[in-house]
Amino acid sequence: MAKKSSLPGFNLSLGYTIFYLSLIVLIPLSAVFFKTFTLSWDEFVQAVASPRVVASYKLTFGASLIAASINVVFGVLTAWVLTRYEFFGKKIVDAFVDFPFALPTAVAGISLSAIYAKNGWIGSLLDQIGIAVAYTPLGVVVALTFIGLPFVVRTVQPVLEDLGAEVEEAGASLGANRWQVFYKIILPAIWPAVITGFALAFARAVGEYGSVIFIAGNMPMVSEITPLIIITKLEQYDYAGATAVAAVMLVISFILLFAINGFQWWSNRRLGHVK
Amino acid sequence: MSIEIKNINKGFGSFSALNNVSLEVPTGELVALLGPSGCGKTTLLRIIAGLETPDTGSIHFYGKDATERAVREREVGFVFQHYALFRHMTVFENVAFGLRVRPKHTRPNDAEIKRRVHELLNLVQLDWLADRYPPQLSGGQRQRIALARALAVEPKVLLLDEPFGALDAKVRKELRRWLRRLHDELHVTSVFVTHDQEEALEVADTIVVMNQGKIEQIGSPQQVYDNPATPFVYQFLGNVNAFEGRVNAGVAKLGALEVPVKEFAQTHDSAVQAFARPHDIDISRDASAAAFKAQLTYVHSAGSVVRLELKRDDAETFIEAELTREYFSQLNLKEGETVYLTPRNVRFFLD
Repeated sequence: MAKKSSLPGFNLSLGYTIFYLSLIVLIPLSAVFFKTFTLSWDEFVQAVASPRVVASYKLTFGASLIAASINVVFGVLTAWVLTRYEFFGKKIVDAFVDFPFALPTAVAGISLSAIYAKNGWIGSLLDQIGIAVAYTPLGVVVALTFIGLPFVVRTVQPVLEDLGAEVEEAGASLGANRWQVFYKIILPAIWPAVITGFALAFARAVGEYGSVIFIAGNMPMVSEITPLIIITKLEQYDYAGATAVAAVMLVISFILLFAINGFQWWSNRRLGHVK
Repeated sequence: MSIEIKNINKGFGSFSALNNVSLEVPTGELVALLGPSGCGKTTLLRIIAGLETPDTGSIHFYGKDATERAVREREVGFVFQHYALFRHMTVFENVAFGLRVRPKHTRPNDAEIKRRVHELLNLVQLDWLADRYPPQLSGGQRQRIALARALAVEPKVLLLDEPFGALDAKVRKELRRWLRRLHDELHVTSVFVTHDQEEALEVADTIVVMNQGKIEQIGSPQQVYDNPATPFVYQFLGNVNAFEGRVNAGVAKLGALEVPVKEFAQTHDSAVQAFARPHDIDISRDASAAAFKAQLTYVHSAGSVVRLELKRDDAETFIEAELTREYFSQLNLKEGETVYLTPRNVRFFLD
């Protein structure tokens, strides 16, 4: 089965890996499904397909997709600035990118709702032109964008660094303009990393709870996210109902990540990446 | 004149990379910028290409000022040391890139692009690799593809930045002969940067020797090798023995050796540097006043010539000498033997 490797300890380390993965990931996840199976079909449909829950799926997955897409654009830009230019304070800016990783999400949530509320710094300005952020779906997108930023930056940055400025100079010397250099040379090279970053940011956003619930306002049918539905059900001792919703989320997340990976594989082939 | 460079200055922070450099490159010539690393040769090449802007000075292409022209408008082909091929494109697409990015009204049609790319790939003898990707090629192949890509846009000037620097010795030798032949075929005005004096001497029509941001000498390979203008050029091109001494009223005293030097008849007691190539050192067993007494410390006999290392008796320095194999076996010298050395064709430079 396993090819002879010059590194010793294959059996031991593989055994440990599988044991560890089972303990930490697979067994808890399968418990979700086992618990769900205690429900009858009607109870299951009742739990996962009520209008309020369906609205929360739309919000969670919709806002996560939008947030991850925003992060692709601005994450690539940030990674670009951090790799191609030298400027005063670059190290500090670089450290700022990791803030959403490091900050407790509740702190992020409170700060965001304070700033984007109608009487907050930015919220009051936006209010004058009639845009409400806090306690609307837009607020959810803002929070999810905030926590997803580092994923795209940190996956694209090393690839850009590795790509080097020389291929861009080569492109320019061959007569390509800036847009052609970006579109034909840089983008194909960083594309796999961009999609990976997108998938990570999306996955994180789908599961995000702490930073969202403060700014979302949690109005049923409008700004209530699925993780909150799960918590609410738990608080009502509806354990089976909570795991049923969780199972649906799990399946949707899995399908979406699978689709993203498939897209990555397809575009890699189309762009001629050598394996 | 294809390229005229006038009074270029360029600094990076407090470091002056180029110091008032002027240079003319005649049409159709292959010119080598030669110097140690950090001498400014790559900076000069990048300024010619437009990848770097000079602080002061100007660049003219065929009599027209190109100083303000961006790299994509300069019509130069640039070949990078590490190839800079587009990894995600096939060899064919790499070479076609320069044609495909042209604005619609000057872009050749697909059949024409195909024809030209295959023509170029045939020129670099790699047509059979058209469908491969750069990571699947060897270093030498990649550099030939990079050259084909640069030639595809029919550049007015071809610029090569240490094109063979990342290749191993044997491939490097092959490729530089091939580049010379290619240049004789195409006659596109070319400038290439190298720190390898052998490469420059073998390939170039004209060699520009640079040091510390300045041009030390411009000349044919023969001229710079036989008639170095400065001590730096002497030491940089080929092996050389250096002697320190003093000169007074037409006589140079180099350690125990005294040599009459006519050109310094009016010079009074000043320091002098003298240089002699290893193949200009005569060896004899007979004592003579016009010779260094030295001890033979080491013999390198592998190679086309025999190289000897000799320690001077009058100083703590070594002299290198080269003999033909026949002459060496005639002399039948043994390591540890004491001999007398007379340098020929000594060049003197006053400090």
